[in-house]
Amino acid sequence: MNFGVREVALNSRANAAPGWAYVPDTGVNASVTALQPSSRKRARNQHVASHQETTAKQDAKILRELVALDRENHRDVSIPVPIRHRDNAGRVSHGKVTPNVRKILQSQKTFANHLSDYEALGSPLTASTALTQPSATIPNTPAARATPGSGAPHLTSKGTRSHKKKDPTAVSTPTPLRKVFSAAQLTPAAVKSESSTADVPMPDAPILSQGNGTIPAAHPLDKDPLLVSRIPGMPSQTEIDKLLAAPPLTYNEARGPWVEEDMRKPVRQFCEICGYWGRVRCTRCGGKVCALECLTTHQEECFSRYGA
Amino acid sequence: MSPAHRRTKSSGPAPPAKTLVLDNGAYTIKAGFSGPGIKTPTPSIIPNCLARDRDKKVYIGSSLSACKDFSEIVFRRPVEKGYLVNWEAQKEIWEHEFFDAKAPLHCDPKETGLILAEAPNTLPALQTFCDQVVFEEFGFARYLRCLGPQLNAYNDIQSIFKPPARSPDLTSIPPAEILMLVDSSYSHTTVTPLLLGRPIQPAIRRLDVGGKLLTNYLTRLLSLRQYDMRNDTYLVNEIKEATCYVSKDFKADMEQTWKGPKGDRRATYETGGGIAKDYVLPDYHALTKGFVRDHDPDAATKLKELTKGKPIGASEDVLTLRNERFTVPELLFNPSDIGLRQSGIAQQILDSLSTVPMGLWPGFLANIIVVGGNANIEGFIIRLQMEMRALAPAECFVRVAKAIDPIVSTWQGGAYLARDEDQLASLSVTKEQYEEYGSAWVARKFGGR
Ligand SMILES: [Zn+2]
Ligand SMILES: [Zn+2]
Repeated sequence: MNFGVREVALNSRANAAPGWAYVPDTGVNASVTALQPSSRKRARNQHVASHQETTAKQDAKILRELVALDRENHRDVSIPVPIRHRDNAGRVSHGKVTPNVRKILQSQKTFANHLSDYEALGSPLTASTALTQPSATIPNTPAARATPGSGAPHLTSKGTRSHKKKDPTAVSTPTPLRKVFSAAQLTPAAVKSESSTADVPMPDAPILSQGNGTIPAAHPLDKDPLLVSRIPGMPSQTEIDKLLAAPPLTYNEARGPWVEEDMRKPVRQFCEICGYWGRVRCTRCGGKVCALECLTTHQEECFSRYGA
Repeated sequence: MSPAHRRTKSSGPAPPAKTLVLDNGAYTIKAGFSGPGIKTPTPSIIPNCLARDRDKKVYIGSSLSACKDFSEIVFRRPVEKGYLVNWEAQKEIWEHEFFDAKAPLHCDPKETGLILAEAPNTLPALQTFCDQVVFEEFGFARYLRCLGPQLNAYNDIQSIFKPPARSPDLTSIPPAEILMLVDSSYSHTTVTPLLLGRPIQPAIRRLDVGGKLLTNYLTRLLSLRQYDMRNDTYLVNEIKEATCYVSKDFKADMEQTWKGPKGDRRATYETGGGIAKDYVLPDYHALTKGFVRDHDPDAATKLKELTKGKPIGASEDVLTLRNERFTVPELLFNPSDIGLRQSGIAQQILDSLSTVPMGLWPGFLANIIVVGGNANIEGFIIRLQMEMRALAPAECFVRVAKAIDPIVSTWQGGAYLARDEDQLASLSVTKEQYEEYGSAWVARKFGGR
């Protein structure tokens, strides 16, 4: 499951897969990182073997293809900013270029470069955390005057909130929603009923009104056993404030998961030639094809690549 | 200088009369001015790139419209993975569009405010760079950097479910109470739950499937099966937009488009039950833009003759699309089809919900809005509605809709916000504040909404 250990195969030209000759063998591309499973700690993302066991070779191929699919241009290109523009020739100047701006304009770092810089910072006590502190912790008048444009933001001891920690008000265990809801024993009247028309938009029945700008306040009778709603209660204003004050996840943490339910499903295989279901496996390369006709076509390429 | 009439807190300079609203996307910039005095703000859609054609001519941003031959055109994009990364190129494009004497949307930043939309979960360093360039290089009078998904809450969300939409010259309204915003664009697809126009940050999820990946995947399929299109992704993108759809029944469509075993061709194969389409490729001389039509079985014969040495342009170049039409956008719903280890959009929405209190689920599930270019793919909304219906608690009402114009929806929300001076002022940072308190303070202010 760990792509990391398979990167070895990436540099091996001998493993170039049939039909993909155009995939540039650029070695470990920076964008690989972004296509890998997230580093977010989620128990259900770990230790669940996929139904579809794949070989290291096939995984290397998948990874190489994903890298190719992330490219901006098929070949590496460099398009310099036209020279006549470089020195603001013939244009209204915005004034003196500050050292910050000069540094920023000269940077040719890619997103992957910036991401690894960020990850190298590692600890939650980094600048980033300080930057994402909720406003609740900011005094109305900034206590400390920061130098305008100082390159690195100030590190403060306040920045102790871990990005990985979920908000305490959040549902801490990601229980499948269906279970939770049937446990809540909703009556059809409580929410919109599940009828045959449930899939049809019901434009005249908005669930919440739009535009009054408030979440309903608590009412003294909310707890009355005769009136208690069977819908999970709306969170309190305090809970909502906490939710909205929670800091952002990091780039990697925000990457959506491959949920267990999906992992357990067999991965769909497609014919490499025509795109129909891949039901036959080429014994030479492991590639999938639909039937004899496509296998023949495939093996012509396969043979010319690997030798008959 | 007198304080603005409605402002009580500050005695600073009067607010700028107009605001440049920028949804600075990886593929296109959506840009235009808005403000209390602007009746009907309208966006321009500007390619966010430096492009170089086969004759080595370089086009900047909107000047790409002068390009007549897109074969082998290559691109440099300042926005990578949805984030503004390369300021050298971005500045060049902004100068060309906004600040040059002849710029199409010319303005003087010193007298203009800026609302700049950013993708969720960006890197703090990139945010700092952005703030520094905005104030230190361009010197905008006032500035708000916020999540693109967030701006959508300022649109009239209920009117999306219940047309007609409000007319664009109506005054602004408070942001939508509750909204699950799906933004499926060039670089990725994000899921952002919003309450009163504010994001629930820990619940934001990103699926690394966007329009670029879909185009590249279609390029790969066409290149393997028909023509080498690898240097023509601009054209493949047009083919994608013209022909691709999200299937309501993937298995059935797959059967319809299979040729069948050798010697036993299926009767439905040629037309694929209406799925098979021909795309007539432009030659950039007689035909500058390609077009789609129902598959013509004879076109294949013509094609064979063509490849026997006839000069290109003497006849039509035709690509036939069958399962490519629906297997490509399918990646949004089944990323594992190409080995990408993420669940599809519907599961990502559910995963996002799993981090918010249950009491909010009915509201979010009933108010799912899709924006971004992929929302325009035929069948996208219906499929998402079907999948969400199947995954959501049976007792919940599920409602998915696409924004009235998914591509400019984020921009439009920003334009509404810009017309509410009080709201905008409370969210924004002025140049004076930046100079007094510095970029770290600005970053905290924007991070703390
Ligand atoms: Zn086949
Ligand atoms: Zn083979």
